[in-house]
Amino acid sequence: MKIQRIPKPLPFDPESGQNIILDSIADGVFTVDQDWRITSFNRAAQEITRVSREEAVGQMCKDVLKADICEKNCCLRMTMKTGKPIINKKVNIIDADGRKLPISISTALLRDGKGKLLGAVETFRDISVEEDLRKTIQAKYSFEDIISKNHQMLRLFDILPDIASSSSTVLIEGESGTGKELVARAIHNLSPRKRHPFVAVNCSALPDALLESELFGYKAGAFTDAKKDKPGRFRAAENGTLFLDEIGEITPAMQVKLLRVLQEKTYEPLGATRSVEHNVRIIAATNKNLEDLVRQNRFREDLFYRINVFKIHLPPLRERMEDIPLLIGHFIGRFNILQKKNIEGVSDEAMALLMAHRYPGNIRELANLIERAFILCKEGRIEKKHLPDFLFAANASPDGKIAASFRDLEADYLQNALRRNNGNLPQTARQLGIHRSTLYRKLKALKLSPND
Amino acid sequence: MKLALSVFKNCISTVFDSSDQLLILETEDANGTKRTTVRIDATDPAGHAARLRDQGVAVLICGAISRPMQMAIASLGIAVYPFIRGTVEEVLAAYQSNRLGQAVFSLPGCHGRGNGGNSRGRGMRCRWRQTGGHER
Repeated sequence: MKIQRIPKPLPFDPESGQNIILDSIADGVFTVDQDWRITSFNRAAQEITRVSREEAVGQMCKDVLKADICEKNCCLRMTMKTGKPIINKKVNIIDADGRKLPISISTALLRDGKGKLLGAVETFRDISVEEDLRKTIQAKYSFEDIISKNHQMLRLFDILPDIASSSSTVLIEGESGTGKELVARAIHNLSPRKRHPFVAVNCSALPDALLESELFGYKAGAFTDAKKDKPGRFRAAENGTLFLDEIGEITPAMQVKLLRVLQEKTYEPLGATRSVEHNVRIIAATNKNLEDLVRQNRFREDLFYRINVFKIHLPPLRERMEDIPLLIGHFIGRFNILQKKNIEGVSDEAMALLMAHRYPGNIRELANLIERAFILCKEGRIEKKHLPDFLFAANASPDGKIAASFRDLEADYLQNALRRNNGNLPQTARQLGIHRSTLYRKLKALKLSPND
Repeated sequence: MKLALSVFKNCISTVFDSSDQLLILETEDANGTKRTTVRIDATDPAGHAARLRDQGVAVLICGAISRPMQMAIASLGIAVYPFIRGTVEEVLAAYQSNRLGQAVFSLPGCHGRGNGGNSRGRGMRCRWRQTGGHER
């Protein structure tokens, strides 16, 4: 095996105090010799890459940094070849925990006092904050921004690119706070329309007449004060995607107009005498069950079938409890960045409380709980005392839903434990503190399968 | 069974997410193994996963891999041996003799750190962050 630590004279003597200087720098810094082996590795570099100095020194820099440019566009190689430094090049690395991090790197040659080439130095900075804020501002969410290991969500991840590549209308159903707009944006950003606009309209926020002018625009003179033409959201989303949120809330009159727009691919701005053709992909979303609304004659059946070409159902958070630790970790990371804190995680007791809640507000509610805990928690881990009182109400669920029986409660609990462990029975049994055979027996009695 | 290695030149590619070449090995009979190289054009997790699925891959051996990518692949039932390094031949020999868990085949920093998946034993979590498929 060729990969081994080769002792080489270091340009930096760890004993000389230079490590102390390097460690005081907030940016990650490492040096390499002319064979690309790391010769020094500072504290910030350890924190960003999650690789310890002891493990890093002597290794090939590409194996330690794990950046997407290492093999084909190595900046250090370029600097060694041309002698020119590279400043603030944005690349992505994967840390030792599997997290993809955007970093900004700079490189320069490293020479001794006599000008003899020793190797090169690379400094790098974690730019997750900037990237996170940029994504928030631009709403450029991708598939990778949806965090889940739930089996239903993983199935969705599998088909999302196929959905994105077609131009069919998509209906996203899910309770409030389940991430419908995030999925809609991910579909748009994966689709061939990604270079064109994504326009979101909340259909319940506007009365009929306003919604019509908002969607289709109007011509000058269409009504009092309509002094000049105003393009609508359909025009704004031309060649892109129009996201119609809360589609179940629109009135029967508006439903007829929308049906015509979808059927004929044309619309008429208010006051216009001619129809305008459009090339807009529609993604509709609702927190209601549209089929029920159709049965109740509150939603047109023909419009339902026109919208429901491909239906995506986003499960509520209580059906994907295995995602709660992942999501908590994500929100803690995010709030640590935004609030410049260093909260380490959640205590076991606090986690148990968070796992026992039913989350009627779904992921948005979980995010708010963590944000609230950040106000009270100054350092260390989020404890029980940092969580709101309503979580403590014994076995109470804010939606008033009580399990029908102990049997249902046990089945729910076991299913969630199995999902958390990807259906791995021995691992689930260990986590539950019961013997494997006991778990098998319980599953059999409850007629559950590990893959439910 | 098809085994895929994410490769760059004659080594395991350091970062699977940005790699574009797969070496696929298919056992034909007791004596022969068919080797083919395929390109991955996709850059997103679902695209990578779909390419592996289309090729009928059951096991993937790769270098550093992001969590979403690993989850997308594992969700298709493909067993993933992540954070592996070394030359193709050395890694293959180690896989066949069940020695991939040795520290020499791990990328630096992985030792003792798990990020989920099915860990296999104390102190070997990262190297054995094998997810999906069936354990060997």
